[in-house]
Amino acid sequence: MMPWKRSLKMLLVATAGLVAALTVAACSSGGGTDSSDVPTAPGGEASGTLNISNWPLYIDENTISDFEKKTGIKVKYNEDVNSNTDFFGKVRPLLASGDSGGRSIVTVTDWMSQKMWDLGFLQKLNPDDLTTVFDNLIPSLEDPAFDPGREYSIPWQSGMTGLVVRKDLAPDVKSINDLFDPKYKGKVTMLDELRDTVPLVMKADGVDPVDADKQDWLDAIDKVKKAKDDGQLRRFTGNDYGQDLAKGDVVAAIGWSGDAVQLQADNENIEYIQPEQGCMLWSDNMSIPIGAPNSPAAYEFMNYVYEPENQAQIVEYVNYISPVKGVKEVLTEKDPKLADNELIFPSEEFLSDCTNQVSPPGDAAEQKEVENAWISVTKG
Amino acid sequence: MTTLRQRLLPYGLLGPGLLWLVLFFVLPMVIMAWYSVSTGSLETGWQLTWAFSNYTEAISNYTTQFGRAFLYAAVATVICLLLGYPLAYAIAFKAGRWQGLMLFAVIAPFFTTYLVRTIAWKTILDDASPIVSFLKTIQIIPADGRVLATSGAVIAGLTYNFRPFMILPLYASLERLDLRLLEASRDLYASAVQTFFRVTLPLTAPGIIAGILLTFIPAVGDYVNATFLGGANQSMIGNVIQAQYLVVNDYSTAAALSFTLMVLILVAVTFYIRFAGTEALMGDDEEAGKQ
Repeated sequence: MMPWKRSLKMLLVATAGLVAALTVAACSSGGGTDSSDVPTAPGGEASGTLNISNWPLYIDENTISDFEKKTGIKVKYNEDVNSNTDFFGKVRPLLASGDSGGRSIVTVTDWMSQKMWDLGFLQKLNPDDLTTVFDNLIPSLEDPAFDPGREYSIPWQSGMTGLVVRKDLAPDVKSINDLFDPKYKGKVTMLDELRDTVPLVMKADGVDPVDADKQDWLDAIDKVKKAKDDGQLRRFTGNDYGQDLAKGDVVAAIGWSGDAVQLQADNENIEYIQPEQGCMLWSDNMSIPIGAPNSPAAYEFMNYVYEPENQAQIVEYVNYISPVKGVKEVLTEKDPKLADNELIFPSEEFLSDCTNQVSPPGDAAEQKEVENAWISVTKG
Repeated sequence: MTTLRQRLLPYGLLGPGLLWLVLFFVLPMVIMAWYSVSTGSLETGWQLTWAFSNYTEAISNYTTQFGRAFLYAAVATVICLLLGYPLAYAIAFKAGRWQGLMLFAVIAPFFTTYLVRTIAWKTILDDASPIVSFLKTIQIIPADGRVLATSGAVIAGLTYNFRPFMILPLYASLERLDLRLLEASRDLYASAVQTFFRVTLPLTAPGIIAGILLTFIPAVGDYVNATFLGGANQSMIGNVIQAQYLVVNDYSTAAALSFTLMVLILVAVTFYIRFAGTEALMGDDEEAGKQ
């Protein structure tokens, strides 16, 4: 019996210690600043080392070495953005203390750009240092709702979220609502990204995500939940839905346009379908974070990738929608098939019903409620 | 006469390990405990508010996933035991010169990473795989059924991944078994079955208990198997914790869930050891009691 009494005592001591430690730790807590007094990133002669954070497989490596050769700037290119939230969680403590961890460019999606800006984590950009960028930026991306006039974010690449289907196995999937057709029970997947999947479901029910209130979001989430509970949805995916489609385990999925181009190259039965009610449009944006050690080089890099020739090299590799004018003309000579691809160079008509990506409405508490409702479904 | 050096030596030996534990176990635990009763967000930072409602909310929202985690882990542990015991028995007593090779085969999967092995199971169990067609032919699963993205696949994955943790302690305790005791049992007219249940099984109980603990505890907290092999309705509590940390960035809920899971496991294990008896696990503690 002795050992039990002893361990009970030790447990009590440990608990007391924990409570004491907690009380001590209570003194610390992090805090954010705000965007009203952020500095403008200085320009000037570019040299030295440039640290860039971007998503995996999102650039042609030759672009980096060509840039280094042309400018003499040494680039440390880190593919350390795997998801917006993940990356934000990692860099937030640094940025909150005014340090960017050596990064001079970070690349995140629209809503995360806005979030970081609102927290005062991004510097203002000086248009005089970005003449090539503003000469070549396509008009439709000049004034997004979250950053009119592009004060702090420069598009890297854009894409569409829509339907990716096996046209041999599910030839009649044309709308997001077709994903709820019992005919495809257990053969459908959706993205586990709240801002991709839920607005598409709303659109399919005739709700415009831009004006949607909290209840609209919760209703759409509920619709997805019912489908999940019925076994209609096989699972929720990140960008790993491609394998399921290639094998035919899944016949229709919510997915991203650039993925579809790459998947189709390996399996011609896989195809991106623009949903009848339109797609979601998003961009990943380059920004200069607070505490960036080398903003002149960051400006230099942004200008460099906005040269149509250089941009064409990236587009050929990543197959997403380019924010740069004149790329199509360059590619028409180099790679006509790519230049004709509606997923890379969509016509206005193709995008007519698409909506720019939005976040749930309301204050932090309301947004959290929607996010939690979504997690309960995707991790249900 | 003991010198200062001699008196300090034990602490010197203890030091590095202790420091390691404090840095990488105690400190993170304190930080997590702190988060679990705080409120806040990544934007505003966290404030200690002694918000124990974090716990009640987290538990009531995710009861299903807790239940599922314990159920899957329990089923996987039982299967591991039922498959593992005969195998360990065979390796210990019947393998002869193949013993080394068979033990190697049990450990070999560890040479590839856990992640790769689990993803390989995705291919093994995909809808068009020969195994699944075979299961359909013998009508274990319906013709329009599937294996991947079901509870069965997750349990199979857990069983596969944690099986060596069951087999190795079982083997170790079987290996130590004094075969003369089995002979004695037979000499006293016990049947083979009686010998097994009254001699072999009780004597290898420490191995069984260690094996069950080593399999069950990591399996409850696992989220990799449910991620890759499960579907929309197979999330375990580990998946929720992962999402709360990395997707919602709600560290309070994530920490509260982690602590709850820890307490539940601790309670389960305590009852289990009480029930199974500490002697079986720690060896005969009569000696310890007498000191």
